[in-house]
Amino acid sequence: MTYFEVFGLPPKLQLDTAALEKSFYRLSREFHPDRFASKPAEEQAAATEKSSLLNDAYRTLRDPIRRTEYLLETEGVELEEQSVKATERARAAGEQKKQIVPPDLLEEAFELNMQLEELKMAKAGGDDDPQLRKDLEAAKANFTGLLHASQKQLEAEWTSWDAAVDTGDNGAKDAAKDEMVALLNRRSYLRNLVRDVHAALE
Amino acid sequence: MAYSDKVVDHYENPRNVGTLDKSSAEVGTGLVGAPECGDVMRLQIKVNPETQVIEDAKFKTFGCGSAIASSSLATEWVKGKTVAEALSISNTEIVKELALPPVKIHCSVLAEDAIRAAIGDWKKKNNVAEAEPALAGASA
Repeated sequence: MTYFEVFGLPPKLQLDTAALEKSFYRLSREFHPDRFASKPAEEQAAATEKSSLLNDAYRTLRDPIRRTEYLLETEGVELEEQSVKATERARAAGEQKKQIVPPDLLEEAFELNMQLEELKMAKAGGDDDPQLRKDLEAAKANFTGLLHASQKQLEAEWTSWDAAVDTGDNGAKDAAKDEMVALLNRRSYLRNLVRDVHAALE
Repeated sequence: MAYSDKVVDHYENPRNVGTLDKSSAEVGTGLVGAPECGDVMRLQIKVNPETQVIEDAKFKTFGCGSAIASSSLATEWVKGKTVAEALSISNTEIVKELALPPVKIHCSVLAEDAIRAAIGDWKKKNNVAEAEPALAGASA
Protein backbone atom coordinates (compact mmCIF):
# COMPACT_ATOMS: atom_id res chain seq x y z
CA MET A 1 0.00 0.00 0.00
CA THR A 2 1.47 3.37 -0.99
CA TYR A 3 1.23 6.44 1.22
CA PHE A 4 -1.20 7.90 -1.30
CA GLU A 5 -3.41 4.83 -1.03
CA VAL A 6 -3.40 5.10 2.77
CA PHE A 7 -5.41 8.28 2.30
CA GLY A 8 -7.37 6.97 -0.70
CA LEU A 9 -5.61 9.50 -2.92
CA PRO A 10 -4.43 9.21 -6.52
CA PRO A 11 -0.63 9.47 -7.03
CA LYS A 12 -0.71 13.20 -7.68
CA LEU A 13 1.39 15.98 -6.28
CA GLN A 14 -0.91 18.94 -5.90
CA LEU A 15 -2.46 18.22 -2.59
CA ASP A 16 -4.87 19.94 -0.28
CA THR A 17 -2.88 19.72 2.95
CA ALA A 18 -5.79 20.93 5.09
CA ALA A 19 -7.94 18.07 3.81
CA LEU A 20 -5.00 15.71 4.32
CA GLU A 21 -4.74 16.80 7.94
CA LYS A 22 -8.45 16.20 8.48
CA SER A 23 -8.24 12.70 6.99
CA PHE A 24 -5.21 12.05 9.13
CA TYR A 25 -7.05 12.88 12.35
CA ARG A 26 -10.10 10.90 11.32
CA LEU A 27 -8.02 7.81 10.45
CA SER A 28 -5.89 8.25 13.56
CA ARG A 29 -8.97 7.98 15.74
CA GLU A 30 -10.10 4.94 13.81
CA PHE A 31 -6.86 3.06 14.48
CA HIS A 32 -6.13 4.49 17.90
CA PRO A 33 -4.69 1.78 20.21
CA ASP A 34 -7.20 2.67 22.98
CA ARG A 35 -10.04 1.48 20.79
CA PHE A 36 -8.39 -1.92 20.47
CA ALA A 37 -7.47 -2.37 24.13
CA SER A 38 -10.11 -5.05 24.68
CA LYS A 39 -9.63 -6.69 21.26
CA PRO A 40 -7.60 -9.83 20.50
CA ALA A 41 -3.85 -9.41 20.24
CA GLU A 42 -3.77 -9.81 16.43
CA GLU A 43 -6.27 -7.03 15.97
CA GLN A 44 -4.30 -4.81 18.32
CA ALA A 45 -1.11 -5.52 16.40
CA ALA A 46 -2.81 -4.81 13.08
CA ALA A 47 -4.15 -1.50 14.38
CA THR A 48 -0.73 -0.51 15.69
CA GLU A 49 0.79 -1.29 12.32
CA LYS A 50 -1.85 0.73 10.48
CA SER A 51 -1.40 3.56 12.87
CA SER A 52 2.33 3.64 12.28
CA LEU A 53 1.90 3.45 8.48
CA LEU A 54 -0.58 6.29 8.73
CA ASN A 55 1.90 8.44 10.64
CA ASP A 56 4.67 7.81 8.12
CA ALA A 57 2.31 8.51 5.25
CA TYR A 58 1.11 11.77 6.77
CA ARG A 59 4.58 13.04 7.60
CA THR A 60 5.78 12.27 4.08
CA LEU A 61 2.82 13.63 2.14
CA ARG A 62 2.36 16.88 4.03
CA ASP A 63 5.92 17.94 3.18
CA PRO A 64 6.07 19.08 -0.47
CA ILE A 65 9.65 17.94 -1.04
CA ARG A 66 9.32 14.61 0.69
CA ARG A 67 6.05 14.03 -1.14
CA THR A 68 7.80 14.61 -4.49
CA GLU A 69 10.74 12.42 -3.52
CA TYR A 70 8.38 9.71 -2.38
CA LEU A 71 6.39 9.79 -5.59
CA LEU A 72 9.57 9.53 -7.65
CA GLU A 73 10.67 6.65 -5.48
CA THR A 74 7.41 4.80 -6.12
CA GLU A 75 8.03 5.47 -9.81
CA GLY A 76 11.36 3.69 -9.50
CA VAL A 77 13.56 6.78 -9.71
CA GLU A 78 16.74 6.70 -7.67
CA LEU A 79 18.47 10.01 -7.75
CA GLU A 80 21.98 8.78 -7.13
CA GLU A 81 21.57 5.74 -9.37
CA GLN A 82 20.69 8.09 -12.22
CA SER A 83 23.88 10.02 -11.82
CA VAL A 84 26.03 6.88 -11.97
CA LYS A 85 24.18 5.65 -15.06
CA ALA A 86 24.55 9.00 -16.81
CA THR A 87 28.30 8.89 -16.21
CA GLU A 88 28.48 5.38 -17.63
CA ARG A 89 26.53 6.42 -20.72
CA ALA A 90 28.84 9.39 -21.25
CA ARG A 91 31.91 7.16 -21.03
CA ALA A 92 30.46 4.64 -23.48
CA ALA A 93 29.51 7.36 -25.96
CA GLY A 94 32.75 9.29 -25.50
CA GLU A 95 30.77 12.36 -24.63
CA GLN A 96 30.60 14.78 -21.78
CA LYS A 97 27.96 14.15 -19.18
CA LYS A 98 25.26 16.72 -18.94
CA GLN A 99 25.68 18.23 -15.51
CA ILE A 100 22.63 18.44 -13.30
CA VAL A 101 23.96 21.46 -11.52
CA PRO A 102 24.11 24.33 -14.05
CA PRO A 103 27.61 25.74 -14.76
CA ASP A 104 26.89 29.23 -13.47
CA LEU A 105 25.64 27.83 -10.19
CA LEU A 106 28.77 25.71 -9.92
CA GLU A 107 30.96 28.76 -10.50
CA GLU A 108 29.13 30.57 -7.73
CA ALA A 109 29.35 27.57 -5.42
CA PHE A 110 33.08 27.29 -6.04
CA GLU A 111 33.64 30.98 -5.40
CA LEU A 112 31.53 30.80 -2.27
CA ASN A 113 33.51 27.85 -0.94
CA MET A 114 36.74 29.76 -1.53
CA GLN A 115 35.35 32.62 0.56
CA LEU A 116 34.16 30.24 3.24
CA GLU A 117 37.61 28.75 3.45
CA GLU A 118 39.10 32.22 3.75
CA LEU A 119 36.70 33.10 6.54
CA LYS A 120 37.49 29.89 8.42
CA MET A 121 41.21 30.57 8.12
CA ALA A 122 40.79 34.16 9.27
CA LYS A 123 38.73 32.96 12.22
CA ALA A 124 41.33 30.33 13.10
CA GLY A 125 43.94 33.08 13.02
CA GLY A 126 41.84 35.07 15.45
CA ASP A 127 40.49 37.80 13.21
CA ASP A 128 37.18 38.30 11.53
CA ASP A 129 37.04 40.11 8.21
CA PRO A 130 33.87 42.24 8.20
CA GLN A 131 33.87 42.66 4.41
CA LEU A 132 34.15 38.92 3.89
CA ARG A 133 31.35 38.38 6.34
CA LYS A 134 29.20 40.87 4.42
CA ASP A 135 29.92 39.10 1.15
CA LEU A 136 28.93 35.81 2.68
CA GLU A 137 25.72 37.23 4.07
CA ALA A 138 24.89 38.44 0.56
CA ALA A 139 25.74 35.03 -0.89
CA LYS A 140 23.54 33.34 1.67
CA ALA A 141 20.63 35.59 0.74
CA ASN A 142 21.23 34.88 -2.94
CA PHE A 143 21.26 31.11 -2.51
CA THR A 144 18.25 31.20 -0.22
CA GLY A 145 16.43 33.11 -2.97
CA LEU A 146 17.42 30.49 -5.54
CA LEU A 147 16.24 27.79 -3.18
CA HIS A 148 12.81 29.37 -2.95
CA ALA A 149 12.68 29.86 -6.70
CA SER A 150 13.42 26.17 -7.24
CA GLN A 151 10.46 25.31 -5.05
CA LYS A 152 8.19 27.37 -7.33
CA GLN A 153 9.59 25.58 -10.37
CA LEU A 154 8.97 22.28 -8.69
CA GLU A 155 5.36 23.21 -8.07
CA ALA A 156 4.96 24.00 -11.76
CA GLU A 157 6.15 20.47 -12.55
CA TRP A 158 3.53 19.09 -10.17
CA THR A 159 0.88 20.61 -12.41
CA SER A 160 2.40 18.92 -15.46
CA TRP A 161 2.67 15.61 -13.63
CA ASP A 162 -0.92 15.70 -12.35
CA ALA A 163 -2.26 16.57 -15.79
CA ALA A 164 -0.30 13.69 -17.31
CA VAL A 165 -1.70 11.31 -14.69
CA ASP A 166 -5.21 12.39 -15.64
CA THR A 167 -4.68 11.93 -19.36
CA GLY A 168 -2.49 8.83 -18.95
CA ASP A 169 0.16 10.44 -21.15
CA ASN A 170 3.31 8.45 -20.34
CA GLY A 171 5.60 10.67 -22.39
CA ALA A 172 4.48 13.73 -20.47
CA LYS A 173 4.82 11.82 -17.22
CA ASP A 174 8.41 10.91 -18.01
CA ALA A 175 9.23 14.47 -19.01
CA ALA A 176 7.81 15.80 -15.73
CA LYS A 177 9.69 13.12 -13.80
CA ASP A 178 13.01 14.09 -15.40
CA GLU A 179 12.41 17.74 -14.64
CA MET A 180 11.54 16.97 -11.04
CA VAL A 181 14.69 14.89 -10.60
CA ALA A 182 16.80 17.76 -11.96
CA LEU A 183 15.06 20.27 -9.71
CA LEU A 184 15.40 18.14 -6.60
CA ASN A 185 19.09 17.72 -7.26
CA ARG A 186 19.54 21.42 -7.78
CA ARG A 187 17.60 22.04 -4.61
CA SER A 188 19.66 19.73 -2.48
CA TYR A 189 22.77 21.40 -3.84
CA LEU A 190 21.47 24.82 -2.88
CA ARG A 191 20.36 23.59 0.51
CA ASN A 192 23.83 22.28 1.27
CA LEU A 193 25.37 25.58 0.26
CA VAL A 194 23.01 27.57 2.45
CA ARG A 195 23.77 25.21 5.34
CA ASP A 196 27.53 25.60 4.89
CA VAL A 197 27.38 29.39 4.72
CA HIS A 198 25.12 29.46 7.71
CA ALA A 199 27.50 27.27 9.73
CA ALA A 200 30.49 29.43 8.80
CA LEU A 201 28.73 32.62 9.82
CA GLU A 202 27.67 31.28 13.23
CA MET B 1 32.71 5.88 9.05
CA ALA B 2 36.26 4.63 8.73
CA TYR B 3 38.20 5.80 5.69
CA SER B 4 40.62 3.45 3.99
CA ASP B 5 44.35 4.15 4.39
CA LYS B 6 44.58 5.32 0.80
CA VAL B 7 41.77 7.84 1.29
CA VAL B 8 43.43 9.13 4.45
CA ASP B 9 46.76 9.40 2.64
CA HIS B 10 45.28 11.43 -0.23
CA TYR B 11 43.26 13.51 2.18
CA GLU B 12 46.22 14.36 4.38
CA ASN B 13 48.69 14.75 1.53
CA PRO B 14 46.59 15.73 -1.46
CA ARG B 15 48.53 15.61 -4.73
CA ASN B 16 48.41 18.45 -7.21
CA VAL B 17 46.25 20.94 -5.36
CA GLY B 18 46.20 24.24 -7.19
CA THR B 19 45.26 26.19 -10.26
CA LEU B 20 46.34 26.29 -13.89
CA ASP B 21 45.80 29.26 -16.17
CA LYS B 22 42.20 28.93 -17.22
CA SER B 23 42.62 31.18 -20.26
CA SER B 24 45.46 29.18 -21.80
CA ALA B 25 44.53 27.17 -24.90
CA GLU B 26 46.47 24.22 -23.53
CA VAL B 27 44.45 24.11 -20.32
CA GLY B 28 41.10 22.39 -19.93
CA THR B 29 38.98 23.12 -16.87
CA GLY B 30 36.25 20.88 -15.48
CA LEU B 31 33.96 22.11 -12.76
CA VAL B 32 31.45 19.62 -11.43
CA GLY B 33 29.21 19.25 -8.42
CA ALA B 34 27.47 16.49 -6.54
CA PRO B 35 23.95 17.45 -5.55
CA GLU B 36 23.81 14.71 -2.90
CA CYS B 37 26.35 16.39 -0.68
CA GLY B 38 27.05 19.86 -2.03
CA ASP B 39 30.57 18.94 -3.08
CA VAL B 40 32.21 21.00 -5.78
CA MET B 41 35.28 19.87 -7.64
CA ARG B 42 37.52 21.70 -10.09
CA LEU B 43 40.00 19.70 -12.11
CA GLN B 44 42.34 21.21 -14.66
CA ILE B 45 44.64 19.61 -17.19
CA LYS B 46 47.46 21.03 -19.28
CA VAL B 47 47.79 19.26 -22.61
CA ASN B 48 50.83 19.23 -24.87
CA PRO B 49 49.47 20.37 -28.27
CA GLU B 50 51.94 18.23 -30.20
CA THR B 51 51.57 14.91 -28.40
CA GLN B 52 48.20 15.42 -26.70
CA VAL B 53 49.78 14.12 -23.52
CA ILE B 54 48.44 15.57 -20.27
CA GLU B 55 51.57 17.12 -18.81
CA ASP B 56 50.11 18.65 -15.71
CA ALA B 57 46.92 18.40 -13.66
CA LYS B 58 45.65 20.38 -10.71
CA PHE B 59 42.54 20.22 -8.59
CA LYS B 60 40.66 22.01 -5.89
CA THR B 61 37.79 20.23 -4.20
CA PHE B 62 35.41 21.31 -1.50
CA GLY B 63 33.85 18.25 0.01
CA CYS B 64 34.35 15.17 2.11
CA GLY B 65 37.54 13.15 2.43
CA SER B 66 36.48 10.72 -0.28
CA ALA B 67 35.79 13.52 -2.76
CA ILE B 68 39.19 15.06 -2.08
CA ALA B 69 40.93 11.70 -2.34
CA SER B 70 39.07 10.83 -5.56
CA SER B 71 40.10 14.06 -7.26
CA SER B 72 43.64 13.86 -5.93
CA LEU B 73 43.93 10.35 -7.36
CA ALA B 74 42.36 11.48 -10.63
CA THR B 75 45.05 14.12 -11.15
CA GLU B 76 47.75 11.54 -10.47
CA TRP B 77 46.24 9.14 -12.95
CA VAL B 78 45.69 11.55 -15.84
CA LYS B 79 49.22 12.93 -15.70
CA GLY B 80 51.34 11.39 -18.43
CA LYS B 81 48.35 9.91 -20.21
CA THR B 82 47.12 11.03 -23.60
CA VAL B 83 43.72 12.68 -23.72
CA ALA B 84 42.27 9.55 -25.31
CA GLU B 85 43.72 7.35 -22.58
CA ALA B 86 42.48 9.60 -19.80
CA LEU B 87 38.94 9.34 -21.15
CA SER B 88 38.92 5.64 -20.40
CA ILE B 89 39.41 6.12 -16.64
CA SER B 90 36.25 4.95 -14.94
CA ASN B 91 34.77 5.65 -11.55
CA THR B 92 34.87 1.96 -10.67
CA GLU B 93 38.67 1.99 -10.94
CA ILE B 94 38.75 4.90 -8.51
CA VAL B 95 36.38 3.08 -6.14
CA LYS B 96 38.64 0.03 -6.23
CA GLU B 97 41.87 1.93 -5.74
CA LEU B 98 40.53 3.91 -2.77
CA ALA B 99 38.32 1.12 -1.39
CA LEU B 100 35.37 3.50 -1.24
CA PRO B 101 32.22 2.23 0.48
CA PRO B 102 28.93 2.27 -1.50
CA VAL B 103 27.76 5.53 0.09
CA LYS B 104 30.85 7.26 -1.30
CA ILE B 105 30.60 6.00 -4.87
CA HIS B 106 29.23 9.34 -5.99
CA CYS B 107 32.59 10.92 -5.06
CA SER B 108 34.35 8.72 -7.60
CA VAL B 109 31.64 9.47 -10.16
CA LEU B 110 32.28 13.13 -9.57
CA ALA B 111 36.00 12.67 -10.19
CA GLU B 112 35.33 10.87 -13.46
CA ASP B 113 32.89 13.59 -14.47
CA ALA B 114 35.55 16.19 -13.67
CA ILE B 115 38.12 14.48 -15.91
CA ARG B 116 35.62 14.29 -18.76
CA ALA B 117 34.54 17.89 -18.24
CA ALA B 118 38.16 19.12 -18.27
CA ILE B 119 38.91 17.18 -21.44
CA GLY B 120 35.65 18.41 -22.97
CA ASP B 121 36.65 21.99 -22.23
CA TRP B 122 40.08 21.47 -23.75
CA LYS B 123 38.56 19.86 -26.86
CA LYS B 124 36.16 22.74 -27.27
CA LYS B 125 38.97 25.27 -27.02
CA ASN B 126 40.99 23.37 -29.61
CA ASN B 127 38.13 22.49 -31.93
CA VAL B 128 38.36 18.75 -31.43
CA ALA B 129 35.00 17.05 -31.96
CA GLU B 130 33.51 15.52 -28.82
CA ALA B 131 33.15 11.88 -29.77
CA GLU B 132 36.12 11.88 -32.12
CA PRO B 133 39.28 10.25 -30.77
CA ALA B 134 41.46 13.17 -29.75
CA LEU B 135 44.49 11.97 -31.63
CA ALA B 136 44.45 9.69 -34.66
CA GLY B 137 46.61 6.72 -33.75
CA ALA B 138 46.14 7.13 -30.01
CA SER B 139 42.65 5.71 -30.22
CA ALA B 140 43.53 2.17 -31.24
